[in-house]
Amino acid sequence: MTAYRLASGGLIDRRAPLDFRFDGRNLTGFAGDTLASALLANDQLLVGRSFKYHRPRGIVTAGASEPNALVTIGKGAGSDPNTKATVAELYFGLDARSQNRFPSLKYDFGALNGLLSPFLGAGFYYKTFMWPAAFWEKVYEPIIRKAAGLGRAVLERDPQAYEKCWAHCDLLVIGAGPTGLMAALVAGRAGVRVILADEDFRLGGSLLAETAHIGGVSAPDFAEMALAELRSLPNVTMMPRTTVFGWYDDNVFGAVERVQKHVAAPQEKLPVERLWRIVAKRAILAAGAEERPLVFGGNDRPGVMMAGAMRTYANRFGVAAGKSVAIFTNGSAGYRTAAVLAARGIEVTAIIDSRTDVSDVAPDGVRVIQSACVIDTKGHKRVSGAVVERCGFEQTIACDAIGMSGGWNPAIHLACQRGAKAVWSEELKTFLAPDVGNGFVVAGAAAGRYTLAGCLKDGAEKAAAIAADLGFSAAVQAQPAVDGEADPSFTALWYSPGAKAKAFVDFQNDVHVKDIGLALREGFGHVEHAKRYTTNGMATDQGKLSGINATGLLAAMQGISPADVGTTTFRPFYTPVAFGALAGTARDEQAAPVRKSPLYGWAQRHGAVFVDSGLWFRPAYFAQSGEKDWRESTDREVLNIRENVGLCDVSTLGKIEIFGPDAAEFLNRLYCNPFLKLPVGKARYGLMLREDGMVYDDGTTSRLSPGHFVMTTTTALAGGVMSHMEYCAQVLWPELKARFCSSTDQWAQMAIAGPKARLVVQALVEDDISGAAFPFLAAGIVTLKGGIKARLFRISFSGELAYELAVPAGLGEAVADAIMEEGRAHGICPYGLEALNVLRIEKGHVTHAEFDGRVTPDDAGFGRMVSAQKPDFIGKRLSTRYGLTAADRMQMVGLKPVEPDQHIRAGAHLLREGAKPSTLNDQGYVSSACFSPTLGHGIALAFLKSGRERYGERIVVWDKLAGTEVVAEVSSPVFVDPGNTKLNA
Amino acid sequence: MTRTYISRHPLEDLLPLEPGIRAVDHLDIPRAMAIAAVMAMDGEEAAVAAGLAASGDVQVRFTGPGEWLILSQSETPEELHRNLSLLLAETAYIVDQSDGRIVFRLSGPNVRRILAKGIASDLHPAVFEIGTSSNVLCGHISVNLARTGENEFELIVMRSFAVALFNDLRVMGREFDLSADFSAQG
Repeated sequence: MTAYRLASGGLIDRRAPLDFRFDGRNLTGFAGDTLASALLANDQLLVGRSFKYHRPRGIVTAGASEPNALVTIGKGAGSDPNTKATVAELYFGLDARSQNRFPSLKYDFGALNGLLSPFLGAGFYYKTFMWPAAFWEKVYEPIIRKAAGLGRAVLERDPQAYEKCWAHCDLLVIGAGPTGLMAALVAGRAGVRVILADEDFRLGGSLLAETAHIGGVSAPDFAEMALAELRSLPNVTMMPRTTVFGWYDDNVFGAVERVQKHVAAPQEKLPVERLWRIVAKRAILAAGAEERPLVFGGNDRPGVMMAGAMRTYANRFGVAAGKSVAIFTNGSAGYRTAAVLAARGIEVTAIIDSRTDVSDVAPDGVRVIQSACVIDTKGHKRVSGAVVERCGFEQTIACDAIGMSGGWNPAIHLACQRGAKAVWSEELKTFLAPDVGNGFVVAGAAAGRYTLAGCLKDGAEKAAAIAADLGFSAAVQAQPAVDGEADPSFTALWYSPGAKAKAFVDFQNDVHVKDIGLALREGFGHVEHAKRYTTNGMATDQGKLSGINATGLLAAMQGISPADVGTTTFRPFYTPVAFGALAGTARDEQAAPVRKSPLYGWAQRHGAVFVDSGLWFRPAYFAQSGEKDWRESTDREVLNIRENVGLCDVSTLGKIEIFGPDAAEFLNRLYCNPFLKLPVGKARYGLMLREDGMVYDDGTTSRLSPGHFVMTTTTALAGGVMSHMEYCAQVLWPELKARFCSSTDQWAQMAIAGPKARLVVQALVEDDISGAAFPFLAAGIVTLKGGIKARLFRISFSGELAYELAVPAGLGEAVADAIMEEGRAHGICPYGLEALNVLRIEKGHVTHAEFDGRVTPDDAGFGRMVSAQKPDFIGKRLSTRYGLTAADRMQMVGLKPVEPDQHIRAGAHLLREGAKPSTLNDQGYVSSACFSPTLGHGIALAFLKSGRERYGERIVVWDKLAGTEVVAEVSSPVFVDPGNTKLNA
Repeated sequence: MTRTYISRHPLEDLLPLEPGIRAVDHLDIPRAMAIAAVMAMDGEEAAVAAGLAASGDVQVRFTGPGEWLILSQSETPEELHRNLSLLLAETAYIVDQSDGRIVFRLSGPNVRRILAKGIASDLHPAVFEIGTSSNVLCGHISVNLARTGENEFELIVMRSFAVALFNDLRVMGREFDLSADFSAQG
């Protein structure tokens, strides 16, 4: 036993023991512990195996930069792999498992990789597993992947709930340490809307692990006092357990709040995690600084830890990382840790200082070895000694833990996420964030102001300046005096020379000094190349500990300044965020909103089988008992409409009301065919083109009064046409006096089609709708018996005598029921999209299957509709370009198989008989196909080169997907009632 | 044969959420409401705005430059249309949206926290004052949001999205045990 719980001290609740499990062992910690501090208290030093060599690894840090202590928490579908034990809050019943080991953490087969390590340098896999090429994907990569890796991704459905939220503030303070607390206090007192976010479950940051006194009280007490005051301010919101992970455009910050990650029994009504988008007028980055690891031989042995982490474990958690601790340092911080440990009764065996002539004072009785370096460590699964080299002489110092302190790296990540490059400070021997504008300011240790007094002052001053900028008057009071201030100075030491074992730079990805050297020798010396070549900084910790050291090493190896090497690119996310949190509630039924027609319930009652149609659910067909499949139902519906009558829900078509003295002119420019002289009481089919001359959308537009039109669009492009019109009205023709709005949702619209349609509709409508009074393409307002005003249009998609009746949406189901009742005597049936589609193919009517963006009006047979007289309309200019008027363009035709029992499918291509299938020989394609119950065989609509000249010709329908070739005869696309006698009946 | 047609609300089968339970945070849904879209004619924007502001009995919701939704609890759709036509004669176009829009009224101490789960706008009382209305996205769905009281908001949504928005609001309000029912007054 070496690591242990101290008898007293720490911000833990010793009266609240918490039982938890690690790799099946029952252990106990206290409320206020992290999983890491509780593991250390139980002397569980070994927590994982490294990524590549499967080397035993122990806890290195006490925070978010932890590279080694990654565990899986929880069981089954809800388990979280790769959770950092150093930030995981301990709770009763927590069940954690180590990762990347087999069969157990202590005895791991994968560790054989370590023996092979001389061959497994950077780039080894790329160079070795090159041949045969196909083997990479099928053999090598799966094996390598199996051996490497961290936690296993859970493939089951995540049973946990997540959500996303927005927050707004004048000032976002990121980090609740001395700088952040002071900033929040100063701004909060001035009345600024402040959000104070911190990733820790306990706010206070470094103050919680600090022994200094501020204004006469201990640092943790000072933090408590500040928090108490902040809690009393209604304009300040505190967000503990919230990691701000990204800085985005418009000063929006992404943050993830762990709402219920720390509770044994999560409440069902709360999410486990909440993703915040924080919109901040201003923000202060007060994320502090990370202690820099030292790169020395054997520095990855369990028991080697950041010196500052040892101090945190001792002060905040009351845990000793070892019984006899050696400190390896290049600055004063190592002495500070030594002092804390000694004061807590932990033996400090030696301070190994890389510097010469230092003035720092070691605790009484502690030996200081100056101008010395650790070159190796002893022990296997935990350190048992440090091999120290000084002026060519080696000695082994027995110890069970080594604290390392290599200086400071300000946590500038967020400030550099939007492209700003970190700048080297020769004075501080580290990288600082550049000025990124007044929206986001870096303060305190994150800005290189490492002393406590400096942090308090910087936080206060920067917050006061922001408050003043925002129009608040903020008073900066005198900062409380700091007693026991620490000296943050250090001398950069990128590599301790003479290593006798691997000196690791990136613990998580197993990158050591020689790998960096190899990258440089092989021409991958640019910091971004070296990163990719060695994988340094590419692990889940994103190089929080390793990044700056890699830069320093690359600089040192080339004899240049780190300023000339630079850093790799900082990108969101600062720490990993669960996909679940990013998705929030947008999953399953909530993934996309469902739009429901006002006739949805009616269709349901009639046995509709629904199909997704954009956001809508539309009836595909209405199955009757005994019908075996959709075809049977569809065939029945089609035949019934051709013989009797049917009712179809067309409410989903877009409807736009257009008003104004220039409404007709507006439409005239919007459509390619004329609308200026459309009489009141008439509907007209309209074709809308894109500027490039291709068909955009189609539909009917009716004139209800001289200054009032109602347009219908296709279901798919209802929104698109509306925004197209807004663009035309606002940008192209602002001089036209026309206004419009969508009324799609106001109306339940029903198509009543079939030879008996008039009988059914007349039974409901008071007005005369005889052929003479209400002929084909009539449109107007009618009164239903019972007094309801409705809109009636005599338009037909099926080719039959047909009406579309629109009633206020709430009445839709009632009116549909009435139509069904009146139609019963005439054999009415409801019909769905499938029958609608068959009916229109039989009639040669087009949809977006034909208008796919490559088709001109002439291609589809509407060439004569395009007005030559109109001075302008959208698409006019480009309609005349050469390619669009070429004689061999593909034109819409009908196809019927020569053998009547053969089937044609949409998507098939057309070939001359005997021609080999090739792009060159391609004659066209099938756009729509169906079985025609009216004709008793398959039919199709297709686009064929110069198709209208080729009626009667035989063509091969080549369907590679179905593996069929069908000989078909080219015909007119109108298969049913080419004379329109039914339509005009 | 004369028929009587009964109007149906899209949430007919879904309300009340839990019979007899009314939480502090509550979603109140009027069964029927007269709603009209008003579009000012060119150059008449200010006149229409002034006319609407002077008309006492209706609620005015801003939906775009020169465009408003007008809500009335006391009039039928036909009455509202007629009264607006008189009020705004020769200055505006009026479209009945009584069946095209569904109104949700959200009230209670936690409404802002509920709405923050779907709406990106800042709803702080100093920023989004009582009487303010705006077209915003609530999750994936476009709504017109109005602040009708200190802790009261109103969402107007296209009818076809009513069930989807209702389900979204239920999820958003789950944390606060949000209750929901049709309005008592109709």
